[in-house]
Amino acid sequence: MSAKEKVLSVGIDLGTSQSAIATSADARYVVDSYVGWPVDMVARKVVKKKVLIGAEALDNRSLLDLHRPLEQGLIKEGSEKDVAAVKEILGHLIGLATQDAEGQKVRAVVGVPAETMRVNKQQLRQILKGTVDSLIIVSEPFAVAYGIDALLHTMIIDIGAGTTDFCVMRGRYPTEEDQRTLTKAGDSIDDLLGKLISERHPEVQFSEHMVRGWKEKHGFVGESKEKVVVKAPVHGKMQPLDITDALRTACESVVAPFSETMIDLLAAVDPEYQETVRQNVILSGRGSKIRGLAAELEKSLKELGGGSVRMVEDPVFAGAVGGLAIALDADESDWEKVAA
Amino acid sequence: MSPRSPWRPPVASPRLKRRILSGAVDDNLRALRNQPRGRLHRRRPVSWALVAAATASAVAGAALWLVLELPESAVPPLARRPAIDAALATGTPARTPPQVFPVAVRKVVVDPGHGGGDLGTRTPLGLVEKELTLDIARRLVAQLRGDGFEVELTRDGDRRISLRDRARAANELGADLFVSIHVNWFEDGRANRGIETYFLGPSDDPFIVRLTSAENRESGYAIADVRRLLDSIYADLRQEQSRALARAVQRQLVRSLQEVTPEVADRGVKSAPFLVLVATEMPAILAEVASLSNADEARLLAQEGYRERIAVALYRGIRAYSESVAQTATPTEVR
Repeated sequence: MSAKEKVLSVGIDLGTSQSAIATSADARYVVDSYVGWPVDMVARKVVKKKVLIGAEALDNRSLLDLHRPLEQGLIKEGSEKDVAAVKEILGHLIGLATQDAEGQKVRAVVGVPAETMRVNKQQLRQILKGTVDSLIIVSEPFAVAYGIDALLHTMIIDIGAGTTDFCVMRGRYPTEEDQRTLTKAGDSIDDLLGKLISERHPEVQFSEHMVRGWKEKHGFVGESKEKVVVKAPVHGKMQPLDITDALRTACESVVAPFSETMIDLLAAVDPEYQETVRQNVILSGRGSKIRGLAAELEKSLKELGGGSVRMVEDPVFAGAVGGLAIALDADESDWEKVAA
Repeated sequence: MSPRSPWRPPVASPRLKRRILSGAVDDNLRALRNQPRGRLHRRRPVSWALVAAATASAVAGAALWLVLELPESAVPPLARRPAIDAALATGTPARTPPQVFPVAVRKVVVDPGHGGGDLGTRTPLGLVEKELTLDIARRLVAQLRGDGFEVELTRDGDRRISLRDRARAANELGADLFVSIHVNWFEDGRANRGIETYFLGPSDDPFIVRLTSAENRESGYAIADVRRLLDSIYADLRQEQSRALARAVQRQLVRSLQEVTPEVADRGVKSAPFLVLVATEMPAILAEVASLSNADEARLLAQEGYRERIAVALYRGIRAYSESVAQTATPTEVR
C-alpha cells in the first residue's frame, strides 16, 4: 500500500442480538441484529425500502419477513435469507462507518461468538468479500480482552443473547482448551421469563421483544429492594404486572451453569496462576448488565479461596472497541496476509 | 471497569501482545488455507492410510508405491520403519512390502469415568465410582505400558473433567483407541448385575437412554455441538471398529469375571450415544465393568484383586483387538 492511501480501521462486534462498530475515525454505531424484507408489494410501498435493518426492522416487523440471522451463536444453517441478513447487517455497519470516508481502504476486525468462530469463519469471509479490503476474524471474548488489555491471567465471560463464551487469557491467542461456550444466555433467560409469566398470568398478552426489554431494563439476581412492575395488555387494556419473582427466577437460571463453567475452566489453569485469574474475572456483553450477577459469581468463587468478578465499562461497545484495538495494532504485513 | 475498587490486571508486555496478535493472524491464515486449527500434525490419517495401503497391497499381492506427504512429526517414533524413514529422508517414493506397515494399535487413551465433584455412582458404605474407575484405569495403564503400548490417562487424579475435554485430549494426542471405564448402577440392584460394553450408536432402550443422559450430563457441549456431532457420526467407519473393540473387551471381561462369580451377567455389547464416544475421533468404547448397585459386586469391587482382574481383562481385550486389526485387516474394515 502506498503511503498516500488512507485507511479506515474498524472493529465490529457481530452479535446475536446487537451488532456494533467502532472506527479509527472515532465513530461508533450499534444496530439490533435484525433484518427484514417487505413481505409483498404493499409492504414495500409502506416501508419504502428494499430492506430494513435494526430497530427500523423491528418497528415494522408486521410488514416484513424478519430475520435474526444468528441463533445460539451460529449463522442459521441452510437459510440463504439468514446469510443474506448477516451480509446486510455487516454492510450496513460498514456503510455507516465509511459514509465520511469514501475511497479509503477498510481494514476490519470482526469479533463473533466463539461458536461462529468455530463453524462459520469461512462463510463470514465469503460474506465480507468485497465489502472490506482486509479482514481478521476473532472470537468475541478475545476482542474484549484485547480492548481492555486483559491478555494475561484473566477470564472473560461474554454473555450474549445466543451464547455465553468463557475464555481464559493466559498470554497466548486462546485455543479450544481455553474456551467454553454455553447456550445459557440472554435468549434462554427470555424464554424462561416468558414461560413463567404465561404460567402465572395466562391472561396477559406480551411478545418476546417485550420480555427482552423487561429483562434488559430490570434484570437482577439475588435480593431486590423494589418490586419490578411492568405494563402489559390484558384483553387490550394495559395493566400493571408484577414480574419480580419470575424475573429473579429466570435471571438466576444462569448462575449455576456459569459458576460451574467458570470453576471448571479455572481448574484447568496452571495452579500458580489460578489465584490471579480468580481475581480477574471480567463480564462483558449485554447480559452482564443483570444486576447482582457479578456478586453471585463471586460467591461461587469463595469455595476456591475467593475472587473478584467485574463488568467492563461499556458492555455494548467493548467487543467493537477491542476489535478496533487489534486492527490498529496489527502490522502492515499482517493485513497483507489477510486481504479479503 | 466498575469503580468499586482499583482494578489492576496483569499487563502483557508489548512483545507478548504482539505474539498474541500474531496468533490471531495465524488462525485466520489457517482458515484462509482451509487448515483446521491444531490438526496440522495428526497421526490417525497416517495410520488409516497405511492400513488401507497395506490391505490393498495384500489383496492384490502387488508391490506398493507410497508417497508420504505429512511432516516427519506426524509419524511417531514407534511407527517409524526403514521404508518410511527412507521416504521421509529422500522425499521420494519407497518401494515397500506390506508387512512393514504399522497397523497395530500403539497409543491408547484410558478414561476413568467421573472425577472431582462428579462422583458417579456410590454405595451407602462409601464406595465411589470415580475412585474405582481411576484405580482400575491406573492398573490398566500399567498392563498396557508393560506390553509396549503408549498410554495416556484423561485424568490421573481426582479432577473434574468435562466429557468434551476428555474427548479432546484423546483427539489431540492422536490416540488409536479410547477406552472409558465406568461402573454401572441399576434401579433393582439384586436382579440386575453384570458387565456391558458400549460403542457409539443410537439406542431406543429406555434404560440406555436414562444411562446416557446421566453420563452425558457433564459434557461441556452446547446443543449445537451435539447436533453437529451426531448428524455426521453414525455412518462412520469408527462405529464398526468400535463395535469390534467392544466385543473383544466384553468377551475378556465376562470370561475373567465369571471365573470369580459365575452369577455376573454378560449384558452384552450395546450401542448408545454417549457423548464421550461421539466426540472422539478414533475407535472408542465405554465399559461398564461392574454394577455397584449389586451388593455382591460392590463387595468384590472393594477388593484390590478383583479390580486388578478387571484391569487385566480390559488389557486382554485391547490386546486381542489390536492383534486382530494387525493380522486380519480386510477391505471391509478399512472401507
